[in-house]
Amino acid sequence: MVVLRVNIAALLAAIESWPVSAALRGEMPGTEWLFPIVETLHVMALTVVFGSIAMLDLRLLGIASRNSSVSRLSSEVLPWTWAAWGTAALFGTLMFMAKAGTYAGNLQFRLKFVCMGLAAVNMLIFHLGAFRQVASWDSGEPPVSAKVAGAASLSLWIGVVFFGRWVGFTT
Amino acid sequence: MFRPFADWLSTTALSKTMQDHAWVVPTSQSIHIIAVSIVFGSACMINLRLLGVGRSGRSVSQLSNTLVPWMWRGLAVLLFTGLIQTVTEPVRQFVTPMFWAKMLMIIVVATMTSLYARAVRRNAPQWDGASSRPSRAKAFAIVSTLLWLAIIVCGRFIGYTWSFYA
Repeated sequence: MVVLRVNIAALLAAIESWPVSAALRGEMPGTEWLFPIVETLHVMALTVVFGSIAMLDLRLLGIASRNSSVSRLSSEVLPWTWAAWGTAALFGTLMFMAKAGTYAGNLQFRLKFVCMGLAAVNMLIFHLGAFRQVASWDSGEPPVSAKVAGAASLSLWIGVVFFGRWVGFTT
Repeated sequence: MFRPFADWLSTTALSKTMQDHAWVVPTSQSIHIIAVSIVFGSACMINLRLLGVGRSGRSVSQLSNTLVPWMWRGLAVLLFTGLIQTVTEPVRQFVTPMFWAKMLMIIVVATMTSLYARAVRRNAPQWDGASSRPSRAKAFAIVSTLLWLAIIVCGRFIGYTWSFYA
């Protein structure tokens, strides 16, 4: 266990020593604006991630987009969600590299990933459960299990956004 | 011109109270980002539909009538949380051109969206048919997407540029 801890600390330090990381910290000539630009692209991508997931969650809760069936709305929205998530993850990784050690030890940063992990588990449960019988409730009122999944997803993603924003204030 | 006003605003009791509570700005900013997601996410869905990108099963009027009201709700939250941030840190907002560019673009894009929504409400069948749709539909989709992206850029860059002007 001790050995593993040392290795992680060494890995984080190694990441921070990469030239890309130094550039992201604005330490190289002409890179002062790199981090703000990367962060802005991260924000743009995450708004699409959250916005599209919220649409589906609100549909599962029966609050919005009731003129669209759940399966149609998911096939309409989810390709964008995944593309935007990949983009957000890419630019998020770059931001992480700038101060890997600081972020890894930050409470809000860790809580953000706990929320995202739980959101993934919630999505998996929903897909293996209520979504399998989607044909029977596609255009009508979603069953309680689907509503619970929608509420959990919405809350967890709100948590991801909140903790993400708080990382910037605590590091 | 705005600097004396910003300085005065930052000394008011309301501003001072919020400055004293360190959680106010980060919390307000988090809610602001969630509202940006609702507004920008909805705008993207509508604009992609107008451009014929993606696999929407819904007609233009269905999509607009569902999503435009959510954009107005989101915008109301944005104005409220933006006001909280401005009253708490007025100098930070008023000194940078990013803030004023952002406000100007919001007025333009909100007016465009309102005119668009009214046009669709008045003549849904014309907007729903791919061939009968007014040619300005695509121009609206491109310009409004670019404006929202520029608004996000300016919003994020307020925080990175204000110290140069203060």
